[in-house]
Amino acid sequence: MSKDIVIPGYLLGEDINGGDGTFKEGNRVYSAVYGIAKRVNNKIEVISLKGKYNPKKGDLLIGIVTDITFSMWILDINSPYYGFLHLSDYTKKIEKEDMSKEIGIGETVIAKVKEIEMPIRINLTMNDNRCKIIRTGVVIDVSYAKIPDIIGKGGSTINLIKKKTNCDIYVAQNGRVWINGSDEMIKLAINIIKMVEKDGCFDNISEKITREIDKDGDR
Amino acid sequence: MEIDEKPERFIVDGLRLDGRKKDEIRPIKMEAGVMNRADGSCYIEWGNNKIIAAVYGPREVHPRHLQETYRAILRYRYNMASFAVDERRRPGPDRRSIEISKVSREAIEPVLMLEQYPRSSIDVFVEVLQADAGTRAAGITAASVALADAGIPMRNLVSAISVGKVDGEVVLDLNKIEDNFGDADMPVAMIVESGEVTLLQMDGIFTKNEFIEAMELAKRGCSQIYDIQRDCLISKYKKLDSD
Amino acid sequence: MSSEDILSEIRRDYIYRLVRNGERIDGRKFDEYREINIEIGPIERAEGSARVKLGTTDVLAGVKMQIGEPFPDTPDQGVIITNAELIPLASPTFEPGPPDENAIELARIVDRGIRSSNAIDLDKLCIDPGKEVWMVFIDLHILDHNGNLVDASSLAAIAALFNTKIPNTKFGIDKDDERLAINDIPIATTSTEIDNNFIFDPCLDEENAANVALTVIITSKGELCGMQKSGIGRIPVETLPNIIDSSINMGEKIRKILLKALENNITV
Repeated sequence: MSKDIVIPGYLLGEDINGGDGTFKEGNRVYSAVYGIAKRVNNKIEVISLKGKYNPKKGDLLIGIVTDITFSMWILDINSPYYGFLHLSDYTKKIEKEDMSKEIGIGETVIAKVKEIEMPIRINLTMNDNRCKIIRTGVVIDVSYAKIPDIIGKGGSTINLIKKKTNCDIYVAQNGRVWINGSDEMIKLAINIIKMVEKDGCFDNISEKITREIDKDGDR
Repeated sequence: MEIDEKPERFIVDGLRLDGRKKDEIRPIKMEAGVMNRADGSCYIEWGNNKIIAAVYGPREVHPRHLQETYRAILRYRYNMASFAVDERRRPGPDRRSIEISKVSREAIEPVLMLEQYPRSSIDVFVEVLQADAGTRAAGITAASVALADAGIPMRNLVSAISVGKVDGEVVLDLNKIEDNFGDADMPVAMIVESGEVTLLQMDGIFTKNEFIEAMELAKRGCSQIYDIQRDCLISKYKKLDSD
Repeated sequence: MSSEDILSEIRRDYIYRLVRNGERIDGRKFDEYREINIEIGPIERAEGSARVKLGTTDVLAGVKMQIGEPFPDTPDQGVIITNAELIPLASPTFEPGPPDENAIELARIVDRGIRSSNAIDLDKLCIDPGKEVWMVFIDLHILDHNGNLVDASSLAAIAALFNTKIPNTKFGIDKDDERLAINDIPIATTSTEIDNNFIFDPCLDEENAANVALTVIITSKGELCGMQKSGIGRIPVETLPNIIDSSINMGEKIRKILLKALENNITV
């Protein structure tokens, strides 16, 4: 599969639609970021190789509580901005005084982006049955740009890793992955995810994963 | 080659003291993504300059009152290590580095899409580990690559180089002796593709015609620098690929 | 220079509309300066001084001289130290405290013009090589900031230097004070870009409406002896020769105004 690596200011084409990571001048579309250009039909977008996660409404995130004020948990969500989780958006009704008992500073949660107030304040909610406090397993950071690769078409890649490692794996939109299982298997899962993160664009990724796992199993 | 006195002549038989032609740049090595913690980074060796540029952000602004409602703020800190020059310099910002930080920030800002990250900051740190003339141009060149490496949305790269005058002749990319004892020094940063100047300073003496010649040389120099920046970013990806 | 001044959107639009029609808010031509008023020697206690008004922009330059050690790399040369203070009196956006980047940039541009043009003969300021030299302190006080501090300050600095007497008697060097020898008259000319036009001597609103300013400093011979692009805007390369031509032109005119002020001062 051919990959078009482009740098900011690179002319992607004329009279086409520019998606994420592009900007337009007249009828010309240029790359706004350093990354991989992908063209689908009459639309071109550039997936940044690094870059920070930009929150979108409805995204499920893994956040780490950095502060508790008044009636808010303030979460590091691996983005340019903190996420704010209000008491009333917690999974159940609790008193202000009990906030730190429920989720303390340094604890990890899966939360959903409830809304984004402009100019910019990220409000989170845990009122969604997929949201919860994470107290087991491990969370790793990956490049958020590689998340589609880690998930794979229709979840194929991640499901393969889950099956082969027997781990519970949750890939959050903000470039954080939660892995739960035996320590041995977690280690293996991390290695594979890191490999996919690095080589994610290859077509034969599933073969590679299988080989990696079998190799590990042989040892 | 260390000379601390003004040489009799800077150009002998058409060649400069370091063997370069008048329009020739010094050797440049550049590598992107050299640092682990930073969101983006670039190391540059340009002649004997050794400079690291690192980018953090977009991130929350501290102190908070500096944040701007509808755009990110760009901060740029040019700093020189105390051991970067012959005579130990006192650590910390001096007037020269404060001015360089300001004009460098203004050289880079025109290409950044700061409006995409309201209330945040993008911080650029340029550390001159060893100085050999042209540090601000090298710093801007590296910072531009580090910003791209960090995935910051930008309209283009900014490329920079210094031009000057020695023995009454306009030369590209001054070395240390030419910088110390030459007749003029003009650092220039440009968006090569659009031909727009984003940094322009000059000290020394130029006639108008010399200035025009110098600008022409700077333009060609920046275009060479741009190619090196582009290759540096593209080759970083290729390296990742082949691992 | 002071980017913190907030200009209302409608005023900015107005300035742009005017420029598009070849006009400016105060009716000047694009390359026309405001009235220049130079007062020579207002501060008697200083070795030299001058106050320059560029329209309502008001800058006072004072020169003090002291004996000090030369820099190790120039043992037989005097020392120039230029400093600018954007004191809170001059603008609501100036804050007390150590010089910020705008003040430092301003001082360094003024310094650059004087140094590059060799306006002061530093060799003549050596008293005892390696040990004692004259130190020339040029201090710029901004009294009223209504735009284009660079040109006003540069003019005030060179005017003050013309007025400077080396205080030989005060320091027991000689029985007479003597005039500081001036070799050149560098003139700074600044323009800002509005709607692709470069307009000279911007007033504060024009300065705030623009994204970029370019200072070009011109020697008596019409050479360039210093440049600085300031601000986040971009300058198309091909516009530079025209700006330089205007600068050379303007520099000549302003130099004449200074010479006239000096002449009048001597006769008074």
